[in-house]
Amino acid sequence: MNHATRIALWFVWLAVIAATGFWVARHLTINSDLRDFVPPPQSADQRLLLDEIGNGPGSRLLLLALSGAPQARLADLSRGLDAALAEDPAFVRVANGSADLANIAPDLLPYRYLLSPTLDAHRFDAPYLRAQLQQRLEDLNSPAASLLEPWLRSDPTLETLKLAQRWAPQHPPRTFDGVWFSDRGEALLVAETRAAGFDPGAQAAAITSLQKHFAALPGAAAVHLVISGPGWFGMQAARHTRAEADRFGAITTVGFVLLLLIAYRSVVPVLVTALPLLSGAVAGFALLALVFGYAHGITVAFGFTLLGVAQEYPLRVFSHRRVGVPTLTCVRELWPLLATAITSVCIAYLAFLASGVVGLQQLAVFTIGGLVVAGACTRWLLPRVIPPARRDMAATPGLARAWRFLAQLPRPRWLPWLVGAVGIVVVALAPGRFWQDDLSALTPVPKAELARDARLRAALGAPDVRYLLVLRAASEQGVLALSERMAPHLRRLVVRHALDGFELPSRYLPSIATQRARQARLPDRATLDAALAQALEGLPFRAGVFAPFVADVEAARKLPPLTPRHFETSALGARLEAMLVPCAGPPRGRRGEAGNEKPCWAGLGTLSGVNDPAAFAVLAQDTRGAVHLLDLKASTEALIVAYRQRILVALGVAALLLAGAVTLALRSPRRALNVLGPMTLATLWVLAVLRAAGIPLSLFHLVSLTLAAGLGLHYALFFERRTGNSAEDLRTLHATLVCVASALLVFGVLALSSVPVLRAIGLTVALGVAFHFTLSVLMAPAGHLRREA
Amino acid sequence: MRRSARALVWLLVPVAALAATPDLAQSLIVGMGQTPPAETPFIQVSYRAVLDRPLIASGTLRWLGGERLERDTTEPFQETARLGDGELTVQRGPGRVHRIALARAPQAAALLTGFSALLSGDAAGLERDFTLSATGDAAHWVITLAPRTRELQQRIASIVVDGRGHAPDCLVLHDANGDATFTLMGTLAKAGLKDAAPAQAALAARCQAGP
Repeated sequence: MNHATRIALWFVWLAVIAATGFWVARHLTINSDLRDFVPPPQSADQRLLLDEIGNGPGSRLLLLALSGAPQARLADLSRGLDAALAEDPAFVRVANGSADLANIAPDLLPYRYLLSPTLDAHRFDAPYLRAQLQQRLEDLNSPAASLLEPWLRSDPTLETLKLAQRWAPQHPPRTFDGVWFSDRGEALLVAETRAAGFDPGAQAAAITSLQKHFAALPGAAAVHLVISGPGWFGMQAARHTRAEADRFGAITTVGFVLLLLIAYRSVVPVLVTALPLLSGAVAGFALLALVFGYAHGITVAFGFTLLGVAQEYPLRVFSHRRVGVPTLTCVRELWPLLATAITSVCIAYLAFLASGVVGLQQLAVFTIGGLVVAGACTRWLLPRVIPPARRDMAATPGLARAWRFLAQLPRPRWLPWLVGAVGIVVVALAPGRFWQDDLSALTPVPKAELARDARLRAALGAPDVRYLLVLRAASEQGVLALSERMAPHLRRLVVRHALDGFELPSRYLPSIATQRARQARLPDRATLDAALAQALEGLPFRAGVFAPFVADVEAARKLPPLTPRHFETSALGARLEAMLVPCAGPPRGRRGEAGNEKPCWAGLGTLSGVNDPAAFAVLAQDTRGAVHLLDLKASTEALIVAYRQRILVALGVAALLLAGAVTLALRSPRRALNVLGPMTLATLWVLAVLRAAGIPLSLFHLVSLTLAAGLGLHYALFFERRTGNSAEDLRTLHATLVCVASALLVFGVLALSSVPVLRAIGLTVALGVAFHFTLSVLMAPAGHLRREA
Repeated sequence: MRRSARALVWLLVPVAALAATPDLAQSLIVGMGQTPPAETPFIQVSYRAVLDRPLIASGTLRWLGGERLERDTTEPFQETARLGDGELTVQRGPGRVHRIALARAPQAAALLTGFSALLSGDAAGLERDFTLSATGDAAHWVITLAPRTRELQQRIASIVVDGRGHAPDCLVLHDANGDATFTLMGTLAKAGLKDAAPAQAALAARCQAGP
């Protein structure tokens, strides 16, 4: 094959990768919804957590604060931002204190006598009406008279105002110029995104849109916009992690290129070494697009990590080439071993396919597809692209000495036993938690931001993101009735300072029973006319002024009660919709859960300032569990635990499959033990070091351990190989050293990261590579390395 | 009291009017440089379409300095209303404080705008919202504010201030719906009302005639 053909083929290869990549970018949607990546929910609360609360109230709130200008300016900007966000479909609601609720929901006004609690305690009789009318006269004397006058004729008892107050925040911040301000003089706003709190991608899009709106406001440049809330934290964490990964990626790329140049003294490896891995990655993505149509963000991250083993394939080829022998021939000799490694790992990953979790199935499809394609490219494409070898890596200066050094190391037979025993003892006895199930601990929010969030949350009376009050009943009306019954209990908890505030679904919509009871207390026209005439005696109101009031009361007597469906079409509908959800309805989206249980609805009460979670136990007891406090953090962690257990089972099965595959491929249990022994002990030792360092294990550690084991499999397989040829053994050592050095470089740098998740991956893989290499050398079959010495 | 009442003129008399009639401007501006708090008694008489006779209230108006104004009503009931910081707060008797954003109460906001514009000498600010005209002389002047914007026009027809020398006597807020609120101040307020339910025309004549 001549030079021109090779270059042409190289270009074609690149072009195919680029074209596939382009196709994937257009056809594969990356989904960041956590629901696709965790196992099906086990408990009712978990189901609620996944199906509804991700879309629920607290987690979708963004708290905004404007500062750095005179208050009047900030108030203008607050109004501008409020108006812009109100138009933005990414936001369900925005509030800055200026809202005139009575004007927001005109469609609810006819229902005011059914919605307002006035009639629970009063009747529209002469004494009550007279007292009300006297107050209205005083109102007409006040400077606010003009506000009231438009309502007076149809609503002299001011039910509209009572509803507006009922629906307004309970502890609003102080206002200046009609908008909310904090004690520090920041203008405050709350925005609720349409996107679920669990969907960092959509949250980030909403936040970006918000920032764009703000930047477009006149004079916004001089004003500082602070955003806080779960969506913001998620976005910041992702951005910080990506920035750090990019920075470290740049450093390690330079290092890796230098390493290749030094190891092979040629630019060819630099130009082609990434191609098999890239081919594998785009093929993996294309498979995901074809099979699933979408991929979860975590699948992509984990999959890329696991695919890292494929980086070794081309390095092995470069190290094993010989001068004067066609590369294709060398690769053909190497192939059985590479194929064994690839097949074994792929068989092992089949375990993930059977896990029953979409995210893990995607991971298996991506990794298996990627590894097979990367292997195939290495076997059939790579040799046709690279020019013939000009030097034999076996002749690398110092390599022979390194070989002798390694060969002369003592290899006592008891060493594996000692290593294993020490590992087990440390893993078992090290103090501290074994698992880290709080995923947010891996992408921590800076303390200053947390403190600011708490401050803004308190100032705005915004709901707690950790706790929710769940009210369960067989129907929506049952939930609303339960919610009405619970309101006084919760008010008592507020008085006792167990919590600062609450919002129940019945705050917006009373049950039909309550509405009917209020309706029944509305007087008929004749009775009302008589009561009104008596009440008006001696008051300066003109005759007939309240005719619209009489007509509205009469109309309200005949209205069909307001249903949740009807209420949800109103301007305030989104709020009720988020608080009143089916809890065991038909399965939503792609989740494969059967929904054949009895009907169940859940009311989600938001709580602010939960000071004493234990105080809610009484509510749960009194209602036999129908009402209980849901700790989102605990529930999420329980989900992660369930998820981790699935992964552990999958990994256990994978390990068994791997052992079987290796045994089968090597056709000897003894040889298989030579390969699997060092792998097992090295993995044990990584665990031991992490445990001894007091690092609790997370999912990311598990994935990293798996990658390290994949790399370790290569080291052990190649050291175990009997070639009977010392030059070939030197090439094996060369290849392994380059692989170990590059892995240590990439992951060792990552271990220095300030982001815990990157540090977890880096540290685990780097430690793993070091242990796998060392143990592979020390546990290589007796006489195997020594023979050449 | 005359000096205090003069201070309140800045609440009610737009500086821009001074520009329109320079003589008047000179004589009115003398009252500037007051130190808060300044106060005057007031009597408010409102004529409203829903009522068959006027509502009367009285008490004390206070300028607290800056953009803040307080109205203490003592008759026929106890009420304290404060205007400033973009909101109107009303507390009746010992009851809870009601807060209303001035953005939602244009009539109350219009009063405060005039006041703050005067104090800051921001005639242009006032002219954004109102067309100003002045007639008369130092012995009796009348300044009329007509709203410019359609929004304000939907709520307010005009504001008319009658005064003598450095002191305003009477401010009439004509709502767009025909309601009218008369506020008598200074000597005119001290003199009191002769009639328990004065006709609107009679009261208007009294504002013109002065104390």
